[in-house]
Amino acid sequence: MGCKAIGGRYDPGNRAHRLARSACVTTVSLAGLVLVWWFLSVAIDRQMLPSPPEVWDALADLFANGDSMTGRSAWTYIGSSFSTFIKGFLLAFAVAFPLGLALGYFNLLREFASPAFEVLRPIAPVAWAPVFVILFGYQIGPMMVVFVGIFFPLMTSVIFGVRKIEPNWTDAAKTLGASPLQIFCKVVVPASIPYLMNGVKVGLGIGWMCIVSAELYASPVGGIGFYISNQASAGYWPGVFSGIFLVGVLGIATVGAADYLHRSLSKRMGVDAS
Amino acid sequence: MKRAAPVAKAPRFGEERGVQIVIDGLGKTYRREDRETEVIEGFSLEIRRGELISFVGPSGCGKTTLLKLIAGLIPPSSGAVYIDGRLCAEPGADRGMVFQDFALFPWRSVRKNVEFGLEVAGVPRADRRERAERYLRLVGLEKFADSRVSELSGGMKQRVAIARALVVGPDVILMDEPFGALDAQTRNIMQNQLTDILASTDQTIIFITHSVDEAIFLSDRVVVQTKRPMRIKEIVEIPWERPRDRSSMEFVELRKRILSELEKENVMDV
Ligand SMILES: Nc1ncnc2c1ncn2[C@@H]1O[C@H](COP(=O)(O)OP(=O)(O)OP(=O)(O)O)[C@@H](O)[C@H]1O
Ligand SMILES: [Mg+2]
Repeated sequence: MGCKAIGGRYDPGNRAHRLARSACVTTVSLAGLVLVWWFLSVAIDRQMLPSPPEVWDALADLFANGDSMTGRSAWTYIGSSFSTFIKGFLLAFAVAFPLGLALGYFNLLREFASPAFEVLRPIAPVAWAPVFVILFGYQIGPMMVVFVGIFFPLMTSVIFGVRKIEPNWTDAAKTLGASPLQIFCKVVVPASIPYLMNGVKVGLGIGWMCIVSAELYASPVGGIGFYISNQASAGYWPGVFSGIFLVGVLGIATVGAADYLHRSLSKRMGVDAS
Repeated sequence: MKRAAPVAKAPRFGEERGVQIVIDGLGKTYRREDRETEVIEGFSLEIRRGELISFVGPSGCGKTTLLKLIAGLIPPSSGAVYIDGRLCAEPGADRGMVFQDFALFPWRSVRKNVEFGLEVAGVPRADRRERAERYLRLVGLEKFADSRVSELSGGMKQRVAIARALVVGPDVILMDEPFGALDAQTRNIMQNQLTDILASTDQTIIFITHSVDEAIFLSDRVVVQTKRPMRIKEIVEIPWERPRDRSSMEFVELRKRILSELEKENVMDV
């Protein structure tokens, strides 16, 4: 183990040890990825696959001087992607949570809704992008793609959570005098929150994939996705890859944040997150 | 709190008390797909106000089902249960229940679990807190008021569940093998605590247990049941003073007799 230097023997019960270990493992893994990439870029030797230093230079240039083709800064692109992403997520949350609760709680409603949702669910969210961009415009279109991507995993998790509620919890609430509405608010909703958070975790990952691909369509106002397609059409491949690199890093950050949120909330709700 | 003149320490049995609960020809058949299970059949019994009546019977004979019927959580297939002349068709705060697996809300702290019944009844916050505090003290958990449920031992969870049921002041408390999951020692402590708690309240307790020993130790009457479909095999009156001595002759004799009767139905633990 490369981490032995830190405090002798590895102790899985020690938080600092765990963090150090996972940092080591992550570094080795990412270094491996960069090496493979480097090797491939040298071996294949085509301009579509630039080497890591070329991409790094392009990335540094983007952050230092902005995009020379449009004059926009790196942060403008990132901010634009993120704001679309967050808006799509909030919209999905606002619709999927109550809808999931209702569909989980009312069996008849779920029976009628299920076939319709089952037909829509397997459609790749990006398939809607051309339709949405024309229907809702360049601003709202990509957001709607994100919405579709996040909506289904979120709603499915909430429905699952509501249906998994211990019958004894609702029975206990009834014998304590709770009305159906109180049972819904004080038992069904809190009991389904860990499942909701699981849906958020999955949904954020999918949503992030959607945003970049949707932006490829929504060129004029797009964020990082637009930057990538713009650089590609100009044939500047290190630029393309610096965009791809940004997508990856921001994706990890998003999923990491969601994972943390899921874990801490599940803990608060008294349920083991696993 | 609605508390009648304290009947503290007085033996529960032998006082002039009226009938509170009438179970009249109760029957329950579960239907699942094409299979029918007749769990309870023609079950009739009168339960007196303020008594502690326990039910012992073989595992799976329908004890939990009987409690849920009295609680109004499931509908009977035939017959009915009345409390003070009212039909118990719906669950209500007049019949508190302590569940076999506690059924505490893991997203609420101990205090918030105990406050649940008061919260849904619209009791103001300060009042709620004060009453919950009182019952947490009664079960000896005041130090754990702000703990999470998952941090408690089985015995502590059980006491939270008891406090949660008692705090709303139900007329009847239904307890489903409340000490079943505990080790023998904790179980004895809990039985003594329950005796103490009950001495300070005047509720009717319907108590289910696997343990004949526990039933004799706690009850005014022990109802011995048959296996499925569940019927009454015998009702044993126990007019002894509390606390009871488990090693006394009469205790041991009675336990032996009930056990041998149950053995004819099924094997039971002591
Ligand atoms: N919802 C249900 N649907 C179908 N059958 C059920 C249902 N609930 C219980 N039963 C059956 O009814 C019978 C009695 O169950 P019940 O839980 O009342 O027994 P019990 O006496 O409480 O058992 P134990 O002592 O193990 O707790 C069992 O055979 C069980 O399989
Ligand atoms: Mg049972």
